[in-house]
Amino acid sequence: MSEPSPIVLIVDDEIQIRRFLRTGFELNGFVVHEAGTGAEAIRAATLRPIDIVIVDLGLPDMDGSEVVERIRSWSTVPIIVLSVRSTEAQKVRLLELGADDYVVKPFGIAELMARVRVALRRQLRAASGEPSVTVGPLTIDLAARAVTLNGQRLTLTPKEYRLLQVLAQHAGNVVTHQHLLKDVWGSIHMQDTHYLRIFVRKLRQKIEPTPDSPKILVTELGVGYRLAHASEAENGAPAPVTVS
Amino acid sequence: MPDTVKFAGLRKELRPLLLTTLLVVAISVVILGVVWTTGLTRGSVLYLVPVIIAATRWGIVSSLYAAAAGVLCSAFFFFPPLYSFRIRDPQEFINLILFVFVAILVSQLAARLKGQLEISRQREIDMRDLYAFSRRLAVAFDVPDIQAAIENHLTAAIQRRVVLFANARDAAAAASQRTGNTLPPHVLAQIAATDRPGSARDIGLTVASVTATNGDIWLVRPVSPKSPEFGVVAINLGQPSKDDIDDMRVRVDNVLADATATLERLGVAQAINEARMRSQTDELREALIGSVSHELRTPLASILGAATVLSSAPALAGEPKLQALVADVRTEAERLNDDIQNLIDATQISSNGVRPSLEWADPRDILDSAMERCRKRLADHKLVLNLPHDLPLIHVDPVLVKRALVQIFDNAGKYSPPGTAITIAARARDGHMIMSVSDEGAGLTAAEQPHIWDRFARGERMAAATSGSGLGLWIARSFIAANGGEMNAVSDGPGKGTTMAIDLPVAQAAVHSMESDSDE
Repeated sequence: MSEPSPIVLIVDDEIQIRRFLRTGFELNGFVVHEAGTGAEAIRAATLRPIDIVIVDLGLPDMDGSEVVERIRSWSTVPIIVLSVRSTEAQKVRLLELGADDYVVKPFGIAELMARVRVALRRQLRAASGEPSVTVGPLTIDLAARAVTLNGQRLTLTPKEYRLLQVLAQHAGNVVTHQHLLKDVWGSIHMQDTHYLRIFVRKLRQKIEPTPDSPKILVTELGVGYRLAHASEAENGAPAPVTVS
Repeated sequence: MPDTVKFAGLRKELRPLLLTTLLVVAISVVILGVVWTTGLTRGSVLYLVPVIIAATRWGIVSSLYAAAAGVLCSAFFFFPPLYSFRIRDPQEFINLILFVFVAILVSQLAARLKGQLEISRQREIDMRDLYAFSRRLAVAFDVPDIQAAIENHLTAAIQRRVVLFANARDAAAAASQRTGNTLPPHVLAQIAATDRPGSARDIGLTVASVTATNGDIWLVRPVSPKSPEFGVVAINLGQPSKDDIDDMRVRVDNVLADATATLERLGVAQAINEARMRSQTDELREALIGSVSHELRTPLASILGAATVLSSAPALAGEPKLQALVADVRTEAERLNDDIQNLIDATQISSNGVRPSLEWADPRDILDSAMERCRKRLADHKLVLNLPHDLPLIHVDPVLVKRALVQIFDNAGKYSPPGTAITIAARARDGHMIMSVSDEGAGLTAAEQPHIWDRFARGERMAAATSGSGLGLWIARSFIAANGGEMNAVSDGPGKGTTMAIDLPVAQAAVHSMESDSDE
């Protein structure tokens, strides 16, 4: 543990939820700050250095999505949203507002921790300018614009590469259909999800070791796609929590 | 245009006078003829005939006119000196007085008779309307039916546009909705004022007439001063004179009094209240289930979260028994969560219906996602996949289809013994996508088969061995139906396994047309 402990801000009005999150995060080596309201959360986020924010959608003073929007207006800190029940449309909206990911309550701490790690790693990569993303046997070198599978270079069309590039930039987090369609085909095709479906099918044939049960390019039904977390892709399952 | 109208009106008023004149002339000719042929001298009495006819037919003005004409003609033709209007014999004045007296009396009598006839005719129409009204009320099923009946009855009886509002909220809603056919805002405001709870005490006084911007006068009043349940009516009187307004008011009062009597006799007020209560109870029940399930989930999130933190705690690392206990807490909490989700889904299906958000989805992705969700529950079964590579895309709500599949997987796992195979297959045929899940489990008896889709259906043979609310398959079928699909179950009999199939329509054309431009 030569690195300093990451700092998490937990925003939830339920004290029991905060308590188990605090314990869970502390067990995983985080320093924990808590906030019970949106206003408190925004104040805390401006006053202290924070590495990641966990925010509940249902806060007493304002909607969680407003907290996301307000924090996003000045900060790139990763934000993960918790919600009791939300439709896919609400999830998409949260992601568009700038949330990095969402977890639906009830959830296990391992599930949340996996998302947190992904978000932190992405932030780190962005800060250090690390040029390549590795998911299991697949490596995407963003600087050289090269994609290799088990060390073998793949031949991709420019659009295929562009799609992988967008996903790799958000590696581990969900990217919405609209975001992908806009970035790869342009904004007039934002509603054409069937483009994306057929396209992803072809791409999976190239990049997945077992295209029939994709482990690298993962579908999030009704929301978008996700480039799997490195350990996820190897085990075929969300990473178990390792106790440090 | 107005000139001809006025002229026509004038002619209409002059017509009785003209006819009376003709009558007098005709009688004069008759009398002259009688006098001439028979030599009788007292023929002037016959001038009473036009007086009486005019009095009964055209009223007092015409009959007085006939009387005057009769006197003049008598004087001119029959009383000496002849062919002059001078009357020598004062006795003849008695004729004049007689004529006037008869004219007034008869026309009064005739007018009264006519009025009574009119009233009884109107009464007959009213009674017929009321009878039709009570028949309609007898078959009215709910509050809107009753209100429509009241509205129609008033419209028929008053012959004006009548709008009935159950309450001020209705009026406000109508103000925002019926844009093309809306009532003037003044009128709606008056309705809202009439309906205000505080005004119920002096509701009898809240009869008001409102002048709309187009000059029409609207009469606004409660249907019944005693029973506010019946609502408030607004009646468009058009642009009548002041006297007409008073007449209309009296008429409206009468019609409403009759209508209210009928409503009260039939106990409609109570029926309305009961119907309202029923629908409120339904709403309340749905809201309760909704909020209870929401309230249950929040503590469940703490329980489940805490259990997962505990299971990863270093202190428990060397304690397998405690670890197993924590795992139990977690599994049970997850099951409880599924049950609550089923309750929420069922509530949503029965209260609002399911609104699918359709998109093009890969059936493979949906199946994968559903299998992933059930991985733990199906860990003891052998999963056999029979999925072709070239499944067409389907235009569905992928999340709903996935949740239906999860229910089916769950069912297959629950009703088939560990170690047996569960076969998951998909195929496209004749514009349909069929996804099927076959188990080697309990199967279905012929008696069970028709009932598995019922709400709260539970297989009795297996009830002791399995748990569940009996909502699963009902929810699954509702979700598939919302996507325009069908579900069916086939079993060769008890103990021989079950195959559940989802049948969804495939929109072929749209899928192929974009294949060419999907990539450069």
